[in-house]
Amino acid sequence: MKNSIKVERAKKNITQAQLAELVHVSRQTINAIELGKYNLSTILALKIAHVFGQSIHHIFELEESDWNS
Amino acid sequence: MKTKYLLPNVYKKIGWILIVPGMLMAVAMLIFQSSTELNGLSFNVFAIANSEFLEDATYFSIINDNIYDEICSLLLILGFLFVAFSKEKHEDELISKIRLEALVWATYINYGILLFAIIFVYGLPFFWVMIFNMFTILLFFLLKFNWEMYQAKKQISDEK
Repeated sequence: MKNSIKVERAKKNITQAQLAELVHVSRQTINAIELGKYNLSTILALKIAHVFGQSIHHIFELEESDWNS
Repeated sequence: MKTKYLLPNVYKKIGWILIVPGMLMAVAMLIFQSSTELNGLSFNVFAIANSEFLEDATYFSIINDNIYDEICSLLLILGFLFVAFSKEKHEDELISKIRLEALVWATYINYGILLFAIIFVYGLPFFWVMIFNMFTILLFFLLKFNWEMYQAKKQISDEK
């Protein structure tokens, strides 16, 4: 799964730590999601999309490889 | 996703407060072997089951026992449980995942050692492996969990 959290953060000019606080998770979690090392829960994805005022599809995108995992 | 059955974060501190004297007592016991010589902790205790060396077991009786090793075990097991299963300051879904994976890993390692000992260790040494096994599952979990948490935190400092 690809995500554009880093880009959206840059647009909004907020740090990982600030985003983490806004969606009530640790900073490690935001970092791991951005690096594609952790598949987040639906609820957290919705919260992140909400913070950026975007739809979930705008931020998270399925990749071909997701169908094989 | 919130993990059920975790203790509040404050138990982490309480756990360490129990582990430190427990460890000191355990090390002292291993060095000086006989726990009876270390102190005068002999008390009458209620025993659901008991057997003296090479004697038949007795049930539901009052026996005289040195409770040094019992105190030591309680301190260590409760301490490790508290430290291992209290929430992080900021418990979240990634930490839940790290926690679960560390627990699976620790269980494999612990039983791996036990399987090895079943095949290659006999007699009293095997008994000692079993004693250590009681504590090491939580110890292995703590080492793995904290190592993974450290890795996750370290990655942050690389990123900005």
